[in-house]
Amino acid sequence: MRTLRLAALTLSLGTLATTGCLLLSGQFVVTYALPDPLTLVAGSTPTGVGVDLNTISEYGDHKDDLKRVDDLALIGDFHNGTGGAANVEAWLVPSATLGLTVTQVMQQGVLLWGPLGIAANATEHVDWNRSSGLFKGRQALIDEVKGDGHFALYLRTSSTLNLTMTKGAVIAVIAAAK
Amino acid sequence: MKRLLWGALAVLVLGTGTARAGSIGVGFFGGASVPVLQDDQDDGSIYGVRIPVKLVPLITVEPYYASAQLGDKTFDIAPGITVTREGSEVYSYGVNGMLTVGGPLNFYPFVGMGVAKYERSGQEDTFTSFQGGVGLAIHPLPKLGLDLRAELQAAASDGGTARKLLNITLGASYALFSLP
Repeated sequence: MRTLRLAALTLSLGTLATTGCLLLSGQFVVTYALPDPLTLVAGSTPTGVGVDLNTISEYGDHKDDLKRVDDLALIGDFHNGTGGAANVEAWLVPSATLGLTVTQVMQQGVLLWGPLGIAANATEHVDWNRSSGLFKGRQALIDEVKGDGHFALYLRTSSTLNLTMTKGAVIAVIAAAK
Repeated sequence: MKRLLWGALAVLVLGTGTARAGSIGVGFFGGASVPVLQDDQDDGSIYGVRIPVKLVPLITVEPYYASAQLGDKTFDIAPGITVTREGSEVYSYGVNGMLTVGGPLNFYPFVGMGVAKYERSGQEDTFTSFQGGVGLAIHPLPKLGLDLRAELQAAASDGGTARKLLNITLGASYALFSLP
């Protein structure tokens, strides 16, 4: 009987101590709107944009306490204005260098997301839920969010010259604890 | 810390098996599940089943299974850009230990631990969960119990963070076997 009471007390105190540490944590959503519209150009010069999460207050407020990245998304509406199908990919360049060629992006960057197939003269809406299934380089973005939060995002299309992205954004759910 | 908790729980469960008999029942519960400091989820619902086992005075051990559906959350990112993330389905199971006394009306604290699995499109995480709370039980009939509980469940991830839920539930349990 005494052992049982001791075990119950140990369990209670242990649980409270453990959950006490965990209580001072939370999940916070960081959103970064991309330039709108964003024109994707085929050929040797992909479209690149700089992303600096440090300009977002939710990120700055919790960056020092950031422990984990729980969820990621790259959302937007992708319109293919040509008569042929196209594929879109997003590449992440950790150095945040802009103006790179396709070859340089592929050498210095990581395939982050895609390919997203878009039919001729069609628009594909990629929401948060759909975006989750398109990620290829999730760890690269996690590393950036947990790192300096500054990187370049390149959008690359297969062949079309008339493709635009509107309402684009990068989203991260970060877990922070004191 | 986890090893210590599992050890204490094992002693508690194994110890009750050799102690004086009490009752074994089955209970069902449902209610609201409210995310705490989880900006990417909204309020939802929870339901589940419990097996209250009372083999010694004051202590009830209760294996449980619960399923919660959290609500979708919508964000306004910029003018004209709105996005919605679906809420997670949370499946959890484990064991609670409660300090209970007899009588038609009683107020009891409880703690427990188990496993919580969060699932939604593109995301599937399994955590060790710790929970604690208080309950208020009434027994309108000797074998029937009705209870109201408030529980804070912390699903611990690596790095010292947790996804937390405040569960407010109403439940009913029936003692299937009562032994002297």
